[in-house]
Amino acid sequence: MDRITALVSSELRLILRNRTTLTSVLVVPLGLGVFLTFSQIGSPAYVVAMQLIFALGMGVYVGGTQTLVARRQSRVLKRFRTSGISDTGLLVGTVGPAAVLALGQLVLFGLFDVVAGLPVPTAPLALPLAVVGGLALVSTAALATSIVTPTAERAQITTLPLFFVMVAAAVIIAVLPAGGWLDALALLPGGALGALSRIAYGAPWSPYVLVSLVVWPVLFGWLATRNFRWDARVAVA
Amino acid sequence: MRGPTAGVRRPGTVVVMTETVSEPAVTGTGGRDTAIRVRGLRVRYGAFEAVRGVDLEVLRGEVFALLGTNGAGKTTTLEVLEGFQRRSGGEVSVLGLDPGGERDRLRARMGIQLQEGGFVEELTVRETLELWGRLAVRPDRPDRLLERFDLVHRRDVRVGALSGGEKRRLDLATAVWGSPELVVLDEPTTGLDPGSRRRTWDAIQELQEAGRTVVLTTHYLEEAEALADRVAIMHEGRLAVSGTLEQILASRPAGFSATLPEGVTPPDGVELEGRTVRLATTDLQRDLTAFLTWAADRGVRLSDLRAAPASLADIYHSIRSDSETDGTVEDAASRTASHRKEA
Repeated sequence: MDRITALVSSELRLILRNRTTLTSVLVVPLGLGVFLTFSQIGSPAYVVAMQLIFALGMGVYVGGTQTLVARRQSRVLKRFRTSGISDTGLLVGTVGPAAVLALGQLVLFGLFDVVAGLPVPTAPLALPLAVVGGLALVSTAALATSIVTPTAERAQITTLPLFFVMVAAAVIIAVLPAGGWLDALALLPGGALGALSRIAYGAPWSPYVLVSLVVWPVLFGWLATRNFRWDARVAVA
Repeated sequence: MRGPTAGVRRPGTVVVMTETVSEPAVTGTGGRDTAIRVRGLRVRYGAFEAVRGVDLEVLRGEVFALLGTNGAGKTTTLEVLEGFQRRSGGEVSVLGLDPGGERDRLRARMGIQLQEGGFVEELTVRETLELWGRLAVRPDRPDRLLERFDLVHRRDVRVGALSGGEKRRLDLATAVWGSPELVVLDEPTTGLDPGSRRRTWDAIQELQEAGRTVVLTTHYLEEAEALADRVAIMHEGRLAVSGTLEQILASRPAGFSATLPEGVTPPDGVELEGRTVRLATTDLQRDLTAFLTWAADRGVRLSDLRAAPASLADIYHSIRSDSETDGTVEDAASRTASHRKEA
């Protein structure tokens, strides 16, 4: 655990030093989230769903993919694998800082929502579940996307499809009335975040939510476990 | 045990080999433990086979140099030993462990210098070593390594601003962190100026004096001659020759030359280039003695008499030529055996 903490604190220091990274994983999601809070566009469920997507999708998914690929390109992942940190610890330490920042953003969003007078959720436990499930989704998705991303710059492109699917699924679910076959849209990646935001504000629970929360992280995690690349060149056995 | 510089084999030294060896170069451990044993190693990158059946052994406490051209398979072979590369075939044992399945246990005992990169460029030298200290298994002190590798004055400089030589020194510092049993160095002196190269050589020899096993790859033949107890040359994914430097040199013909006076006819079967006799021989003492006896019997005054074994450079270049000619390579011991038969 000490090794993971050391790596996380080092990566956090690097994020704060690098203006580009700081902007993409902290400033932009924070700015968009705050804008949503105070502009009062859409329902509370919509606002919360978008805040979740901005913090987790932009900060952890896009930022995490960029960091993983950059560290692979510069062979930092490979070097750190020669140290005492485990492979899992190395991945947690590399993606973890973006997750820490995202959690910080979500806490701030919560405070801003209260200040802006957003209604208090009637089923607040749905929101921690959305955060935990969302973190699992975007972290594993970042690992999986890094497999098909050759350079850190290219991550801006390779993350776009899934990011837009997550945004679209979360938004559509959040704004649609609960019930009917459209609830099945929660099965899409990110759909569960919209559904849980809606549930937090009074919508009924749906089995699709739990399925989505479990299936996507398992699928992305499985892909990552099978194909994750620690180095630019890999032999085929 | 050699001192830091006293035992360095100087390139160009003439060593007359009087007999060839019969033991295969990759075997015959002389009773010493084996640190690394590789049998029939194969590695594929898709359709391309980068390593094609490599056998080698590295003894504990020795410096083993792996030479070869770019793309010869050196780095891939090292990566298999380090547990970073899956093998397509063959058996590998490093410090008694299989790097393919026991990398976690192995890395606690092994230090690795990558061929390039591997640092977060935005961290300073001190931050890099402090982070490494928190990640490493073996304890050590950043200050000791900063001093040892002459980086004290650069400790607050970001890694991205270091020169190539300084990065290689930092790289070496992380590889030897905590004095591991086995140190694997991938082209440790590439791009270094002569002073930095000498310091790196000294560091490698210190490791050997401390009983550590060192495996290094290099393009520099003089580096292998200066540092290595045993050498292997890879070419196109295969081990072309391996063994001690003496074994390898003995596996190739030595040569001698002399200039004859005008009007003197050389011995039968010896051709002249101008007035110069050049002979390649697998038994330098025998053939040189015969030639000198021939000259003495006839009162021939030789000038520019020179004798030398094959150099590593000769062997290196001939391996490339051989494979380009007939597509085959062979072990030093096989060459030695065939030359002995011819003799």
